[in-house]
Amino acid sequence: MNLKQFYKLLLFIVLIPILSSCFEVVEEISLRNDGTGDVALTINLSQSKTKVASIMLLDSVQGYKVPSKLKIQQELSEAVAYLKKSQGISNVKSTSDFNNYIATISFSFKDVSNINNITKNILTQQKIKATNTSSYSYIKTTKTFIRKYQALSTTKTEFNKLKSKDKAVFNGATYTSIYRFESPVTNTTNPASNLSKSKKAVMLKSSIMDLINGKINVSNQIQLSK
Amino acid sequence: MFPIKYNYLNKMKKILIAITLLFLVKLNYAQDLVKKIPSNAFTVATIKGDNVFKLMFVKDFNESFVGKKLLTETSKSLDKNFTSIEDFGINLEKNMYYFNQLSDSITYNCFLIPLKDAAKFENLINDKDKKFKTEGDIRTMVLPDSLSIIKWNNSMMYFVTGSIKTSFFADSAKSALYGIKDVGYGSQWNNDTIIDSTAVVTPVAVDSTYMATPEPMDGQGFDPPLVKVKIQKKTPIKKITTKKNISKKKSTKRKVIVKPKKNKAVEEELVANSVVITEPDSTYMVTPPSSAYGDEMYDGYQKERAEQDAKKKQLAFVWMTAQADKIFNSNYESIESNKSYTTSLDSKAIAELWVSSLQDVYNSIAPEFGTYGKTGLMKGYGSLNAKLFMDKTSFRISTGLELAKDQADAYKKIMNRKLNKNFLKYIDSEKAIGFMGYSIDTKAYLEEFPKLMKQTYGAFLGARMDEEIELGTDLFSLLLDEEAVSKVVKGDALFVINGLNSKEVTYTSYEYDDDYNRKEVTKTKKETLPDFLFMFSSEDNRLMNKLIKYGINKNYVTVNNNIYKIEEKKSPIDIYFMIKDGIVFFGNSITELESISNGSFNTSISKTHKTLLAKNNFSFLFNAKNLVGKVPNEEIGGEETAKKFNETLGKMGNIYMKSNPIKGNIVSADISAEIPNGHENALKYLFSLIENASK
Repeated sequence: MNLKQFYKLLLFIVLIPILSSCFEVVEEISLRNDGTGDVALTINLSQSKTKVASIMLLDSVQGYKVPSKLKIQQELSEAVAYLKKSQGISNVKSTSDFNNYIATISFSFKDVSNINNITKNILTQQKIKATNTSSYSYIKTTKTFIRKYQALSTTKTEFNKLKSKDKAVFNGATYTSIYRFESPVTNTTNPASNLSKSKKAVMLKSSIMDLINGKINVSNQIQLSK
Repeated sequence: MFPIKYNYLNKMKKILIAITLLFLVKLNYAQDLVKKIPSNAFTVATIKGDNVFKLMFVKDFNESFVGKKLLTETSKSLDKNFTSIEDFGINLEKNMYYFNQLSDSITYNCFLIPLKDAAKFENLINDKDKKFKTEGDIRTMVLPDSLSIIKWNNSMMYFVTGSIKTSFFADSAKSALYGIKDVGYGSQWNNDTIIDSTAVVTPVAVDSTYMATPEPMDGQGFDPPLVKVKIQKKTPIKKITTKKNISKKKSTKRKVIVKPKKNKAVEEELVANSVVITEPDSTYMVTPPSSAYGDEMYDGYQKERAEQDAKKKQLAFVWMTAQADKIFNSNYESIESNKSYTTSLDSKAIAELWVSSLQDVYNSIAPEFGTYGKTGLMKGYGSLNAKLFMDKTSFRISTGLELAKDQADAYKKIMNRKLNKNFLKYIDSEKAIGFMGYSIDTKAYLEEFPKLMKQTYGAFLGARMDEEIELGTDLFSLLLDEEAVSKVVKGDALFVINGLNSKEVTYTSYEYDDDYNRKEVTKTKKETLPDFLFMFSSEDNRLMNKLIKYGINKNYVTVNNNIYKIEEKKSPIDIYFMIKDGIVFFGNSITELESISNGSFNTSISKTHKTLLAKNNFSFLFNAKNLVGKVPNEEIGGEETAKKFNETLGKMGNIYMKSNPIKGNIVSADISAEIPNGHENALKYLFSLIENASK
C-alpha cells in the first residue's frame, strides 16, 4: 500500500460526503481614460487546499474527472495562447500556484469591448459552461463604463439539475469584481456596489450561489467625472 | 416402582411417536418445490416464505407501505379489490424458487411458486376462459408475446421463459438441423442452392430426462400454429419483385416437434437414439443480382432475418412447452441430489442463491467471446452461494465459494496467519470510526501465487505458453527470496481511524485597501480530519532503516524523537512514521504516534472488536455513529446539510465485513449491517427505509 492509496482510502471514508469548498473568483479591470486598460482574473482555491490536494490524488470525484496538474497547466497555457491571438489583446500572462491552488490570467486591452467574448471563450475552452451573457463597454465621449450582465434562466435550471452534493461545491464560493479608473466616479447604478475612498474604484462582492440563482445582478453603469 | 417406570417409558414412547408423527406431517405438509428443480439447474435462488413471514406477519405486510402499494396497484390494474397478499393465492409459508438451465442452444429462466388457492391465483387473470386451457388439473397459459409460459395446478405455479442462444445458431451445421439459416447481408445471393427446410423429428422421447409430447398443445383457446414450425417454399426473386405474394404463399405448414439440446450427456443420447431426417425441401437456382436490386436486396435481407428470427422463436417455444410439461408430468432427479447445493443451504436464511460453478458460468458465456471461449479461465472455481439473513439486530449476507482442492490448499497455506496481537493495543473502540485488518502469510503467498496464477490464467494463455509460464514462475521464485521478504513484510496489517481531530491550517485570501487595491493575506482556519493509523509487522528492519537513511540524506524525511516525517509538498496532510517492537506505524497524528512511542497510548478495544480482528484473516468495520456531530457544520456545507448528514449517520448501525476460515474447500465471507435501535427486526426496518425513500 503506497501513500497515494492511503489518501484514497482516507478520502473515501471521510472527505467524499462533504465536498463543500470555499473558493474566490476575483475580476479586476483597470480602465484608462483613453479606453485602454488591464484585466486580471484570479481563481483562488486556497481555502480548500486540503480538499483540493486530496481530490487531485483521485482520478475522478462524484463522477467528474479530476484534471492532473499537467492538464491544468496545459489548459492555462492554451488559454494564454488563445488570448495572445485575440484582437486588441496584449501583454498576456498567467501564473499557477499548486501549493495554494491559485491561478491568475492577466492581459492588457485596446478597448474594453475586446474582453466581451474572451471570458466566455476561455470558460468554454476550460470546459466550464459559460453561465452568463455579460458584456463591457466604455463610451469615451460621455466617459461612461457599462457592465451588462444578465442571469439566464437556463443557468438556474441547469444548476438545479445538479445533484445536491455537486451544488454544495458552490456553497462558500464568492465572486468579487473591482473596476479602477483614472477619473473619479460620480455615479453608479448598482446599489450593491461600493465606491472607494478615492472614488476611483468600484467593488462588488457576491456569493456565486446568488449569482447563479439570479438573486444578485452585477450589472452596473459607472459614470466618471468629465 | 416398576409400574411407574413402565408408565414413564410408555409416556416417553408416546411423546416420541407424537414428535415423529408431527415431524412427518410437517415434512409432508412442507413438500417443497425444490423437488421440482432439475438436478442440472445452473442457478437456484430461493425466497423462504416461512422465514420472511416469521419476521413480519401477513397482516403487517398488508398494512405496510409496500404492501398497500402492491395491493392497490394490482387492484387498480386488474380492476379488482385485493385486501391481502393472500388474495393472490400464493402459499406464503413455503419457499419460492427461481432457477435457470443452460445448454448450448437455449437458456431457460424459470420460477416455481407454491400455490395455496389456485382459484384465487386464476382470479388474477382477466378473461381467464379465453386465455388458458385446462388438461386434468394442470392449466396452461401462454403470454401474448409467446416467449413465456405459465403452467399451474392446485399446489404450484410454474413460469418459464426461454431464450435461444445466437452463438448456437451461428454454427450453420447445427442450425441447419433445425431449418434455421444464419442470415448475413446478401447471403441469399451467395448460395446457389438454399436448403429451404430441414426438420428434425424425435419420434419418442429417448429417456426419462426428457419427454417430448408429440402433439404439445392443441386445445381450444390455444394458439396452435405456434407449435408448428412454418416452412414455406420460396423463390427469392419472386419475393423481391412481388412482396405481397409472399405472405400468401406462406401456406405449406408442417408440424415439427423439435427436441431441445440439454446437456452433453443428453446430447449424446439424442444422437444415438433419435432419427434425424434431413430433407432438402426444394432446390432452385438463383440469378445473381444486378446492381439495381440494391434496395430490394436489403429489404430481402431484412425479411429473411425476420423469418429466421421467427423460426428461432417458434423453436424456443416448442422447447419451452416440452420443458414445462416435464416439470409437471415426469419424474426426474432433482437438485436435492446435488451435494454442493444441499450443503449450501441454511434453514435460517431469508433468501438463498446458489450458482453451480463459476467455471461453468465462464464456459457458458465463453462462446460469445469468440476464440478465447474454450480456455476455461475460471478453472478451479466451483459453486458460489450467497445467503441473506435478517434478525432482530442486523442484516447479514454470507457468501461462499467452492474451490478445487489444490486451490483450497493454497489458500489455506496463505491464510495461515493471525493478526499481530500487539496491533489491538492501538484501537480506541470508543472513538474509532472504522478499521480494516488483514493477515496473510507472505511467504506462503509468494510461494503459492505463481501456482495460482498459472492455474487461473494458464489456460487463457494457451497450451503453447505452458513452458513460458513455467519459466516465469521459476524466475519469480528465483528472484524473490520468499523467506527474506516475509521477514520484512510478515503479511498482517491494520488500518484504523481512531476519530477526528481538528487542526489549524493556513490559506491565502485577499484584503482591499481604501482604494480597493488588492493585498494578499494569510489567514487561518480549522479543519477536521480523520486521524488514521496504519501498522504492519516486520521482523527485519534493515531494509526499512536503509530507506530511512536514504530519505534523510535526500531530505525526503526528517526525524524527531524517532518519529519520522515525510516531507512531501504535494501531500494534503502530514504523514509520520516510526518503527517499534517489530511494528511499522504510519499515521497523520503526531500526538498519537508520540503516545505510541512513549507507551502512553490509552488502549481501550472492545471485546467485539477484538474478536472480529483477532479471529479472522480479513475484517472491516465502519461505525458511522462515531462520526455524528464530529465534523463542524461549516465544513459540511452549512447547518442544513450538516443536520441531514448527521441524521443519516446517526441512523446507521455498525457495518462489518469478515472472512471466515476455510471450511473444507469453501472460502466464505460475511457482510453484516446492524439496524438502529427502535426497530423490531431487520425486515421491518428495510420496509421503513423503503417507505422513507419513496416519500
